[in-house]
Amino acid sequence: MSREELAALTAACAKCGTCRTVCTLYPERKAEISVARGKVTLVEAAASGLDGDAEALQEALSDCLLCGRCERACPNQVLVEEIIMKGRADLAEELGIPAWKQVVFGKVMPSAAAKNAARRVAAAAQKLFLRKVPAGSGLHYRFPEKFGGEGRTVPALPGTSFSGSLSPGEAVRGEVILFVGCVFDHVFPQVGRAAYETLRLSGKGISVSRDAACCGLPALVSGDRASALRCVEENVRRLSAASPERIVFPCGSCLLMFRRNMLAFLPKDHPFYGHATRVADLCQDYASFLLETGVVSRLPDPPKGEKTGQIGYHDPCHLSGTLGKGREGREVLRRSVGDSFAEMRGADLCCGYGGTFNIRDYPTSSRIGQNKVSVAAEGGTAVIATACSGCILQMRDMAARTDPSLRIVHLAELVFQAISRR
Amino acid sequence: MDNQSLSALREIFGERLHTSLEQRICYSYDATGKMFLPEAVAFPVNAEEVRRTILLANEHRFPVIPRGAGSGFSGGSVPVRGGLVLSLERMDRILSIDTENLVAVVEPGVVTETLKEEAKKRGLFYPPDPASLKFCTIGGNIAECSGGMCAVKYGVTRDYVMGLEAVLGTGELVRTGVYTVKGVVGYDLTRLLVGSEGTLGIVTKAVLKLIPFPETAATILAFFRSNHDGSSAAAGIIRERITPCALELMDRTAIDCVRENAGLTVPEEAGCALLIEVDGAKESVAAEADRVEQACRRYGAIEVGRAADDPGRERLWTLRRSISPALRKVNPVKINEDIVVPRSRLPEMMSFLADVASRRNLKIVNFGHAGDGNVHVNLMISGTDEDERRRADEAVYEIFAKTLALGGTISGEHGIGISKAPFLEMEVGPLGVSVMKRLKGCFDPNGILNPGKIFMEEQVAQR
Repeated sequence: MSREELAALTAACAKCGTCRTVCTLYPERKAEISVARGKVTLVEAAASGLDGDAEALQEALSDCLLCGRCERACPNQVLVEEIIMKGRADLAEELGIPAWKQVVFGKVMPSAAAKNAARRVAAAAQKLFLRKVPAGSGLHYRFPEKFGGEGRTVPALPGTSFSGSLSPGEAVRGEVILFVGCVFDHVFPQVGRAAYETLRLSGKGISVSRDAACCGLPALVSGDRASALRCVEENVRRLSAASPERIVFPCGSCLLMFRRNMLAFLPKDHPFYGHATRVADLCQDYASFLLETGVVSRLPDPPKGEKTGQIGYHDPCHLSGTLGKGREGREVLRRSVGDSFAEMRGADLCCGYGGTFNIRDYPTSSRIGQNKVSVAAEGGTAVIATACSGCILQMRDMAARTDPSLRIVHLAELVFQAISRR
Repeated sequence: MDNQSLSALREIFGERLHTSLEQRICYSYDATGKMFLPEAVAFPVNAEEVRRTILLANEHRFPVIPRGAGSGFSGGSVPVRGGLVLSLERMDRILSIDTENLVAVVEPGVVTETLKEEAKKRGLFYPPDPASLKFCTIGGNIAECSGGMCAVKYGVTRDYVMGLEAVLGTGELVRTGVYTVKGVVGYDLTRLLVGSEGTLGIVTKAVLKLIPFPETAATILAFFRSNHDGSSAAAGIIRERITPCALELMDRTAIDCVRENAGLTVPEEAGCALLIEVDGAKESVAAEADRVEQACRRYGAIEVGRAADDPGRERLWTLRRSISPALRKVNPVKINEDIVVPRSRLPEMMSFLADVASRRNLKIVNFGHAGDGNVHVNLMISGTDEDERRRADEAVYEIFAKTLALGGTISGEHGIGISKAPFLEMEVGPLGVSVMKRLKGCFDPNGILNPGKIFMEEQVAQR
């Protein structure tokens, strides 16, 4: 990205400081460098030639959850996320991308076959080396402290992915494509299954994106433009060829990548740009699709007074915040579980996952996450439903560590449960 | 700053001292957008660390610039001479809220809104409400003597500071003022420190007055054909012995910025709007709101709306709140002044501002706290046109001269800092400047604290 382009993006910042009020990370860091105004000024300074140590700048730009709160609060609509992602990409090109990321983002994530193989290896390794932690949301394994796990737990990986569980002729053709996403295909296949079974109630033909590449968001936020591009090209090619009526996403982060981020980083003169714009327009979140096609109005009446007010909805930053789809998820939840749903305390607090942020600073990520789930639990919530893979991974880890009775589920699982009652 | 100073600072602050370019850039600016790099940044967590820092600065002669949230509009926290930025954002505890005596004791880094919320939970009210209240700090508010919307009824930060603990430029820790309603023992050092822009001392603790939270409030939005009608109504409301807790004026240029997306219908012919809020006991609020409406009509209001419930009031406020963010639509660069005139002279000032804009071919957007006679004059310029910049500078001088001629002051609540330093003498005169400089010498003989602020090396009163 040219200096001029970065300078133009950063010039919109009036340095008012509003971003300090909403930053998820600021209460943890208590320093200007953690908030958007600081980061935007750093990029602005670098673009104008005042750049010091590239590694220090990279460190500063990496220390962000990309929750997008600053961007939504900004009175001047500064494109903070775009500035940070572009800054990260420029620096990664200058400093190089760590070897493990090159393998994961460049080789594994763009390929469905490689993802399958990786899951099988990891699942076997888990059983051999890690200790079991039973949790409300299913079996987790604890990372040994001596390997720097700091108490981290990981979900038990399944032997078969969701797309692998489909029979050969199943879900191949249909005017609506379910874009399952890596996590709901390979880590929590029950979510992929629940989403598929409930989408079918729309009466539309549902095909499952079984050979899809990763959405590319993890690579993009790590500054790995080339790998992100490979994922996007692969997906846009397949999705445009299928010319669907709709593409439905159970994961808010995958959806954000398709609806917004993909177009922000894809060069305007890229041969796929036109296709990408058309694909982006077809992409929709799971809850909106259910509402639009009237699936929820066909659900059986939920049982009354079973667990009054114990099921809450967590707002994924990308889905409820950036994409503004907070109402839809709640609406679907209310129609599925009736008065078991109640507005959760701290529903819009960020879970602290932040994708690769969770890997680079697990202690901070888990403090934010721990606070998230304990605020909810203290408010009387026993089940947290949501619609983003990152949030589910993070909150399940938090629950497994400190509150195994707390269940974290995808919205689709509760809708599936509701139709199964019929 | 030499290595010796830095290693001595490292002994005080350890990992809370930063010298990397990245950290220094992040403490080089405030809301004026002006940038000056400090040589180091430190985050003290108690008064003792502040005291040791100032002693060290006297020994090694480096500047120390106290900083709250960096939301100021006059460059008060910008390190124009380098040195050490002392960021007080980690001294952010509310030490006590005494509900028997209606007193709060806080550290300087407490965010203003946090204190307001905590007080409200106890049925108490900390009134000062600068526009940046969600992120600015009490320490910064004290340093600049911040005002806000409700100053017309409740006064400004100064009126709520009962006592202070501060480290002077000498490194001495002084306690000023009282914990009581009254107190006249010796000179009022508290008032002297309030608004001193970090040039006399660094506040490490503040004793603040709280009052009972008003029972209820009502908001009135009135549209007028002209600035003259609107500002006459504002002056009229005050003349009729009504004390609203907000009396905000927006002129045609301001309304035009938000006409389309104000969230409510703005009459086509509206050339001025007043937003008025009254608060207090239920019965008196209803009666005062009636009188405000009548006054507006008498001065030619073409439309008057009123809301007594929170969502309705919030809707009326949208018009006022949407202005600042929308200013960029007019032009990218903002020269932001906050003059005050005696309230009866407001109509005259408003016509003068319109005259300056047309005579000098400038875009000037005016809005502000009409109830105090405080107008935010925003000269919106392209930033790339030299001639326009020159015309704007001349306009500012002309506006200041008119303000003073009307018996006003050139800054109501933003402070002098660097932005208005050239005009200090214009208002207070050479003797005023001289007395201020003598006081400065008394508190900070070595010129350690926030050098380059308030005073120009050489006063430029005329251009």
